[in-house]
Amino acid sequence: MDVFRVRNSVPALAASLMLIASSMAISSSRAAESSLNLDDYRGQVVLLDFWASWCVPCRRSFPWMNRMQEKYSAQGLVIIGVNMDANPGDAEAFLREYPAQFTIVADPGGDLARHFDVEAMPSSYIIGRDGAVVATHMGFQVKKSDEYEEKIRQVLSPGED
Amino acid sequence: MLNCRALKSATLILLLAATAGGCTSMGVEPWERDVLAKEEMQLTTDPVEAGIDDHIYFSKEASSGGRGFGGGGCGCN
Amino acid sequence: MKTKPDCMSKQNSRSIAASLATAACSLLGSSAVSPVQAQEEPGWDFNTALLYYGESDDRVQDISLNVLARRTFVDDRILTLGLVADSLTGATPSGALPFDGPQTYTRPSGKATYTTAANEIPLDDSFLDTRVALTAGWQQPFARLYSVNAGVSASKEYDYVHLGANVGLARDFNKRNTTLSLGLAYAQDSLEPEGGAPLPLSAMLDVGDLSNRIGDQDKDVTDLVLGLTQVVSRDLLFQFNYSLSQSSGYLNDPYKFLSLVDPVTGDPVSRTPPPDESGPLHEYRFESRPDERTKHSIYGQAKYYMSGKVLDLSYRYMTDDWEIDSHTLEARYRLPFGDRRYLEPHVRWYTQTAADFYRISLVDGAPPLEFASSDYRLGEFDAITVGMKYGWKTRSENEMSVRLEYYMQDGSAPPDQIIGNQAGRELYPDLDAIIAQFSYRF
Repeated sequence: MDVFRVRNSVPALAASLMLIASSMAISSSRAAESSLNLDDYRGQVVLLDFWASWCVPCRRSFPWMNRMQEKYSAQGLVIIGVNMDANPGDAEAFLREYPAQFTIVADPGGDLARHFDVEAMPSSYIIGRDGAVVATHMGFQVKKSDEYEEKIRQVLSPGED
Repeated sequence: MLNCRALKSATLILLLAATAGGCTSMGVEPWERDVLAKEEMQLTTDPVEAGIDDHIYFSKEASSGGRGFGGGGCGCN
Repeated sequence: MKTKPDCMSKQNSRSIAASLATAACSLLGSSAVSPVQAQEEPGWDFNTALLYYGESDDRVQDISLNVLARRTFVDDRILTLGLVADSLTGATPSGALPFDGPQTYTRPSGKATYTTAANEIPLDDSFLDTRVALTAGWQQPFARLYSVNAGVSASKEYDYVHLGANVGLARDFNKRNTTLSLGLAYAQDSLEPEGGAPLPLSAMLDVGDLSNRIGDQDKDVTDLVLGLTQVVSRDLLFQFNYSLSQSSGYLNDPYKFLSLVDPVTGDPVSRTPPPDESGPLHEYRFESRPDERTKHSIYGQAKYYMSGKVLDLSYRYMTDDWEIDSHTLEARYRLPFGDRRYLEPHVRWYTQTAADFYRISLVDGAPPLEFASSDYRLGEFDAITVGMKYGWKTRSENEMSVRLEYYMQDGSAPPDQIIGNQAGRELYPDLDAIIAQFSYRF
């Protein structure tokens, strides 16, 4: 898997995300971050998941991500759901039905998605403690969730097993 | 006569293939498919109704079919 | 995958023989192969419809129940099961020409006669049949960008059995903006007409005389469809398909026949049954069609979203080796009212040219023809459908809809075939029908 250096370019995106995220009111999950600066998460493992209200596999990925967040937050896993809906109302409706126990940010303009070269919906990126992307996954399949979890475990504790 | 038709058909297939090639620049980003994901934007919104109509027209006319499958939609997974 | 129930028509005396007679059933071209829908939640989904189809002038009436059950499994694997039950009654044009006096014919069974009135398109009214069709299909993704599907279909009615199978493959390109698809279908149909199929171009015989019958028949149909779906923009989707259909075997309608007419007057040639026999009082010949048919179609469809309203436009061109060319242009416009209701007007325009062996009658003494049929569905006509559909969401979030459509065909006999007294008569049976459907999806 290509290692993509996120370090230097993401702070520039933070400003554009700030305005967008603050306009989203998420009631049942953790409040939207007012900005996304991946540098803030250095030292932790970030699972960045691009989702949208109209994406049906996302209805299955959310419960799984909630479980992962709960299970591995102590080890430093931070899950961030990047919402791509053009209309924040649609995202809110989705979150009422499938609440997220992890951070949600909004990227309706697609800047962050383009930056990560998102080619499928949903897409997830595992960003290591050093800020580099170590794994990419396109789509979400329930039958592969053990595989995804194994990958997260490896990134959280490399050298163990 | 049949050869003429076969030739026309072959040309059409080639055109389709060429169009496919030329289509590389057309389209939307994967996250811009909210409208395409809507039920009313699917190519066949009601398969039962489409089947009923196909059956009626097949019974009363000399032509049938035409529709295909695949594509459009939310493009997920 | 949604496989379409048997697409054999129902419309001739006591059978779907008519379907044999008309274009080969294109399992693929119809919604036999399921469109790959937007991903669905695991669970069951039912789509049911009750249909009434009724033609004017005591012609065909059909009531059918259609059920499509879809079971989506986790990770987009889908099982589709379909059932159609049809009940047909009514009369249909037999192919004979009207004339100034009544005409008497032997029934297809060979057991009795029937008589039609003067100056009316002769209809065969011995027609009551029930058909049941079943389909089953499976669809699933295969590797990330592929989707495969396979299905079977079967149908049965009084004198007709259909069996078919289909497979398909689709592959996405360009971040799923482009999809190429390939489908193949094969069907084997067998016909057991009442009394046995008549020898093509043989005469209609007296009651009890089955000497011109050649027994049960069959045919097979192979279909291929190549498709290209392209997302043009956020609001616009196109599809282009090329279809090839090849039928071979018994393609006649065993119940249709032509009048044998006088070369000068154009009136049917008289006939006297032997003493103590009953039978036709004029000469008729059973139709004859080639035993092969190859059809090519190209189809294009566009769906355009305009702030909640959706315009669906499609065009199909068909050409075959029977010299039939057709154009179909269809438009649907969905107008939503709030979140829960919509109106959808629909217009369809259709035109076709006649088959090269289409004859309104056979001329006594003329050089014998190899093929001839007076089946109006192989003639030259224009047709139009206008309709409206109203749909709504129930309180339990299920969908219901009703639609009412009017279908009209207007055709004409080739002027160079009209002889003598035929000129003043109605030579082409026009058609007027109502289509009414109630649908419930849950």
